[in-house]
Amino acid sequence: MRFALGEMRRAKLRFALLTGAVALLVFLILFQQTLAGSLLGQFTGGLANQSASVLVYAADARRSVDGSRILPQQAAAVADVAGVAESGPIGEGSFSVRPSDGTLTDTTIFGYRLGGPGAPTTLSSGRLPATDGEAVASAQDASKGFGIGAQVRVVPGESTITIVGLADDAEFNVQPTLFVSYPTYEDLVRTTNPDATAVLPNLIGVEPESGVAPTTVAAAIGSEVDGVEALDRDTAVASLPGVSSIQQSFGIILGLAFVVVVLLTGFFFLILTVQKTPSLTLLRAVGAGGGFLLRSLLLQVVIVIAVGLAIAIPLTIVAINAASSGGFTATVEPSTIATTSVAIVVLGIVASIGAMRRVARIDPANATARLAGGGLA
Amino acid sequence: MKLSWRELTRRPGRFLTAGVALTLLVLLLLILGGILDALIGSSTGVLRAQTAPLIGYSEDSKGSLGRSRVTAAQHDSIAALPDVHEATGLGVAFLAGHVPDLAEPADVAVFGYEAPNMRVPAPPAPGQAYADTSLEDTGLAVGDTLELGAARTPVEVIGWVSDTDYNLQSGVWVEPRTWREALNANIPDAAVAPGTFQAVLVTPEEGASITDVAAEIDRQVDGVAALTIDEAIAGIPGVEQQQSVFTSIIGTTFAVAGIVVALFFALLTIERVGLLGVLKAIGASSRTLAAGLTLQALLIAGGALLVGGALALGLAQVIPDAVPFQLSAGRLGFTAVGLVVTALIGSALSFRRIVRIDPASAVGGA
Repeated sequence: MRFALGEMRRAKLRFALLTGAVALLVFLILFQQTLAGSLLGQFTGGLANQSASVLVYAADARRSVDGSRILPQQAAAVADVAGVAESGPIGEGSFSVRPSDGTLTDTTIFGYRLGGPGAPTTLSSGRLPATDGEAVASAQDASKGFGIGAQVRVVPGESTITIVGLADDAEFNVQPTLFVSYPTYEDLVRTTNPDATAVLPNLIGVEPESGVAPTTVAAAIGSEVDGVEALDRDTAVASLPGVSSIQQSFGIILGLAFVVVVLLTGFFFLILTVQKTPSLTLLRAVGAGGGFLLRSLLLQVVIVIAVGLAIAIPLTIVAINAASSGGFTATVEPSTIATTSVAIVVLGIVASIGAMRRVARIDPANATARLAGGGLA
Repeated sequence: MKLSWRELTRRPGRFLTAGVALTLLVLLLLILGGILDALIGSSTGVLRAQTAPLIGYSEDSKGSLGRSRVTAAQHDSIAALPDVHEATGLGVAFLAGHVPDLAEPADVAVFGYEAPNMRVPAPPAPGQAYADTSLEDTGLAVGDTLELGAARTPVEVIGWVSDTDYNLQSGVWVEPRTWREALNANIPDAAVAPGTFQAVLVTPEEGASITDVAAEIDRQVDGVAALTIDEAIAGIPGVEQQQSVFTSIIGTTFAVAGIVVALFFALLTIERVGLLGVLKAIGASSRTLAAGLTLQALLIAGGALLVGGALALGLAQVIPDAVPFQLSAGRLGFTAVGLVVTALIGSALSFRRIVRIDPASAVGGA
């Protein structure tokens, strides 16, 4: 250990630069993972954390909540399908809302039949709406004027909604999100657009009978009701437009960033080992075991990555807090940090296998060929 | 300089580490930039296409076309202002577009418009449409009938336009009556009355100040807020957030590239202290040695750009359709300039070490 640390102390610059590069790359990975995770959560939370196990879309909507409109005869037909215990309309739209702090805010509003499918399931404080004009808001927006007791105004018009509860992870379309009664939702649509000729639900929320799987009911609805597509909740969330784009885009970027970290660490230690080969050969000749040299190398790899992580993690927290100052709020998840850290350490060790193989293959007899050591060339 | 070039060509393996790392970073930068450009491009095409410098929305809409309503009376009031040369309506309906012989409909943004712009000719006859070239991949052809929404409102495609998408949906341009018909038939809760648009594009009289006209609209026309096109683009939900997130990641990647160059040349300089001492002893100046190092950094950056650029172009061919990606000459240029500057800064960190090399160390320094 003393040997490995001593070398690092004497070559501060080269190890500091490598550690800096690793720290920045790990920061890049953590930053992107956090952004991607938060973005996905806030993009889909409102749909993922509501009570309907099955969601029925217009077939034409291509699984987009915004683009779906269900006709009254389709809603009635869904309720009659075998295996459906309960069904109800779910409306969804983007509105301009003035919360209690007065700032005009893009807000998603879900309307559902109170007591029926579509209620938020992650209530963290307060209660569900009991009557028209009440709402549960996404908890992370409480500080933006959507706290319990706040009265928010939907504009244009004078419609006022009182926040009576907060739900975790309930944002949708990366906007503050409210859950209100379906009649309240209908009123809001008509008030904000007096030209509306009808208000149709975007979705029908379905609760299957006890013992019937959501996928079974979804398949039955799809085959029996014309012009609709029914999905279980998880499939509906995964199929939302944009989800797959976000996942695949960040997947490619993260994959490349991991490759760069691994290559950078691997090449650095390989070059260092090549440069030190004569000295390492001499050490082997005077009695240092191969295991000792390998352990020293491994220790240096772990130290470089550990220090890189120690720099990158607080940097990520600071950067995420800074990036969260606008309309988008990201949260650093400890599980993301833990899994990424383990992956980086493991990959860093794997990357240094090339250098370790070189150390393992050093032949102490070659020391006799060193001119500087009195050997014969 | 010649010495640096020879070292690079005779011992390319020595520079492989930095070259590979920089190549991967170039690839990462181009992928990030390509995704950002595609996201922004396909979200803002409709606004970037406009020749009018101002756009009026209803003041409560926060610049969202979908939520905005500008009535015929408000439209007339804007047109009647003394410094307004022209005020034309614009509306949008997000619908499914049923392409002949295609099982899955395409996502389209149907625009109703009154005047030509940079990329779209004057409005076609009722029931006809110009389609964005982003729909070509679906098999849609000129002369085909595109059916819109569940109501299957038919429009005949009579020509192509390009770069006019909005909200990641392909633009389809029709005259106002056709747009209203499609919107009202398919999305009754978003219906608009005759004469109502979602926004009004405003061209001031020649010589009139754009900001003054915008302020005049805000003052004189009740319920309407005027924005410049740039403000409107920045106000599209998600655009600012996407730009700030990707810009942070791209900036960090450039910083990593700088550190890689600095790390590599610091190591190279340390390794060659003896040799550089000899060169100094026989008359090479610090400036010459630093110039050689800079040349090597630039050549490595250039090689990384070429290989990374080629890899990015190759990757663009196999990237899944779900990933928005658009590699432009501007993005390549920006990345090239950024990398060259980064390489110069990174290599400059070794200059101090070169300057401090004592030529006397060449004597018995080995």
